[in-house]
Amino acid sequence: MNQHLPAIIVTVPLLSAFVITAAGWLNKKLCFPIAIAALGVSLYCSISLLISVASGKIIIYNLGGWAPPWGISYTVDPLNCLVLVAVASVAFINIIATKKNVEEEYPDKIGAFYTLYVLFATGLIGIVITGDAFNLYVLLEIAALTGYALLGMGSRRAPLASLNYIFLGTIGACFYLLGVGYLYIATGSLNMKDLSAILPAIYHSKTILFAFIICLTGLFIKMALFPMHAWLPNAYTYASSPATSLIAPLTTKVMVYAMLRITLDVFTPQYSFGTIGISHSIVWIAIIAIIMGSLMALAQRGLKKMLSYIIVAEVGYMVGGLWLGNRAGITGSILHIINDAAMTLCLFLAVGNIIYKTKTDSFDDLKGLLKKMPLTMGAFILGGLSIIGVPPTCGFFSKWYLISGGLAAGHYAFVAALLFSSLVNVVLFFRIIEIGFFEPFKEHVSGHHECITDQIAGNRIMIEEAPAGMVIPLVIVAGFLIFLGLMTGNIVTSIIQFAIPAGIS
Amino acid sequence: MKIIGLIAVFLCGCLLVYGASDFPGWGDPSSPASTHVSPYYIETTMEFTHVPNIVTSVLADYRGYDTMYETTVIFGAGIACFLLLRVVKKKDPVSRLYRHKATGITLRIKKGGKIPDKSNAFERIDSEWVPYDLIIQISCRLLVPLIQIFALYVIAHGHYSPGGGFQGGVILAASIILIAISYDLRSALKIMSERASAFLSAIGVFIYAGTGALCLLLGANFLDYAALDSLLGSGMVMARSHGILIVEIGVGIAVMAVMICLYYNLSSEGKQDEGL
Repeated sequence: MNQHLPAIIVTVPLLSAFVITAAGWLNKKLCFPIAIAALGVSLYCSISLLISVASGKIIIYNLGGWAPPWGISYTVDPLNCLVLVAVASVAFINIIATKKNVEEEYPDKIGAFYTLYVLFATGLIGIVITGDAFNLYVLLEIAALTGYALLGMGSRRAPLASLNYIFLGTIGACFYLLGVGYLYIATGSLNMKDLSAILPAIYHSKTILFAFIICLTGLFIKMALFPMHAWLPNAYTYASSPATSLIAPLTTKVMVYAMLRITLDVFTPQYSFGTIGISHSIVWIAIIAIIMGSLMALAQRGLKKMLSYIIVAEVGYMVGGLWLGNRAGITGSILHIINDAAMTLCLFLAVGNIIYKTKTDSFDDLKGLLKKMPLTMGAFILGGLSIIGVPPTCGFFSKWYLISGGLAAGHYAFVAALLFSSLVNVVLFFRIIEIGFFEPFKEHVSGHHECITDQIAGNRIMIEEAPAGMVIPLVIVAGFLIFLGLMTGNIVTSIIQFAIPAGIS
Repeated sequence: MKIIGLIAVFLCGCLLVYGASDFPGWGDPSSPASTHVSPYYIETTMEFTHVPNIVTSVLADYRGYDTMYETTVIFGAGIACFLLLRVVKKKDPVSRLYRHKATGITLRIKKGGKIPDKSNAFERIDSEWVPYDLIIQISCRLLVPLIQIFALYVIAHGHYSPGGGFQGGVILAASIILIAISYDLRSALKIMSERASAFLSAIGVFIYAGTGALCLLLGANFLDYAALDSLLGSGMVMARSHGILIVEIGVGIAVMAVMICLYYNLSSEGKQDEGL
């Protein structure tokens, strides 16, 4: 059965989606166990694949038994095995952590919710594992469509925000498809490996240049690179917490992975970074994305929206790291895909718990929360430290690689932008710690009398944590941030270094 | 702002046309698209799959994996529509209309009132569109079986002529939707309930993906229909042909059910009570 793992990792959640739909009409209680079992199988497969491709092996699986380029093939190599594990584990942990939330938010539609949930995971896993440029588009459609639906449920403004996302997401997907169409016209092939063999001979063609640019533009829209980020903050803010904490850690990261695949694997790095000469401008776009994302995060008064803008800045990190075009930068970029997925999951799960208890995520209502929900807030702060980049959390290590990449490339503006964004993140998270811990004392100014009552109230705050089922997964994720940080050396030497094409120094 | 947008679109269009200047000639038999992978499909389709319609063999076998996900996209659209639109808790309308079948007299029952009696003498009608038109109803009903037979023909003949699961499924759904339009939504729901359409949409795609998984269990790669030979006993080539037919049937069922489900939810704003 082992040689079938690449098929099983995708088809088990796919098949489970149909069973969940049926279960939703027969017995709602069955939906959750089926979903969790299917995602568990995926997670198991992804870890086995990770182990078998470590040290540079490549697994190719021909679907339908047709050899590429005639059929569709799956490729598991060092570039995508880590992202596979990240996607599968985020989907798996999030479904456990948000069980209670889902039951309350979608009492009549649990079946539909979990169906879309596993389909979304299927779509993303498929995007990551596929070795076929058109198959990637089809799975992009599945992930996007289910994502729109999941984000469309939530507060009153969620449907409109999701509609915005549909428009921009569809434009992005169309651009990608158009690019694949151009590639097919010029080469007659859709298989990525085959494409990379045919393309170098016709790099001079304008069709290829346009195919590359159109594909990238589509992916930039999909990954919300500034200034194409407009759909992201509202869509993530107004959606319900279980959907946000699934989609926010994964969508942008998987799109960054798709960009890596196109620039490094389908096209050669020499072409992407050298021949067409756009890498410098894209690093500058990334710099602007980092600065603008951080500044806009600073202007927010709600946790979810602040985190959404932090994601916009983080996308800038990864795009910039890749387009620096050197080994350290690309290592940082790949490492940051995994680390950012873990950090974002941690932060959004914590916010989900806060909203579950307090029904709001605005800064004004965080007062005294550090005493009321110590574990949740502790995990939130740990996630914040990781976003800032404090060792030994994982955020430090990917930022370290990105900065050394920037220095090696002589791109000091990128380094400065990274440091600036870290400083802004310090302000962002310490402001929250201040509100959550010290706020009652700050009322001194407004009047002596009030402060005493506040202080008494502050002391009386009882611990009111979210249910254990929500807190334990969150604490595990928070612990994982440190674990990932400590494992950085192993991850880089045994996996990521094989993922970077040999020509890059 | 509009003008800036127009200029941007115009410039993008010009760029795309410029980028297309390196395209191979229209219908050029020596273009990469017609020389790289296509010849293999054209030359081997009869030998490997026994399906003369190359479009079908590429769609459902050589690249059948893509098609499975295209069907899943349709399934996902149905579920998404259900999740976003369906209103499960029914709000009683202010008043309901009933027609006495024998005389055609319409009764308005105000809120809190009861239906005249449980006999079959009355039928509920929509509050907005009420004219009772025997000619339309009967002629549409006469059309339904013809439409359905044609749909089955389209599904079954995908091997030999244009057609297949997607087209046939849509035509099948059209027959039910025609009932919903010519009678009303409730009559259509009596023929195919919401529950049935949800089950069928899941079953349809399950047939497709399940066939793939069955091949995997039989020891071949996912969706390698040749493995079905050990069950069907018809030889590898015919097993592929039959495999294609099985998944086309699955696609037909799924597409039909999802189209109907979409119509139910969209036409009644998710209430599945009255609509169009």
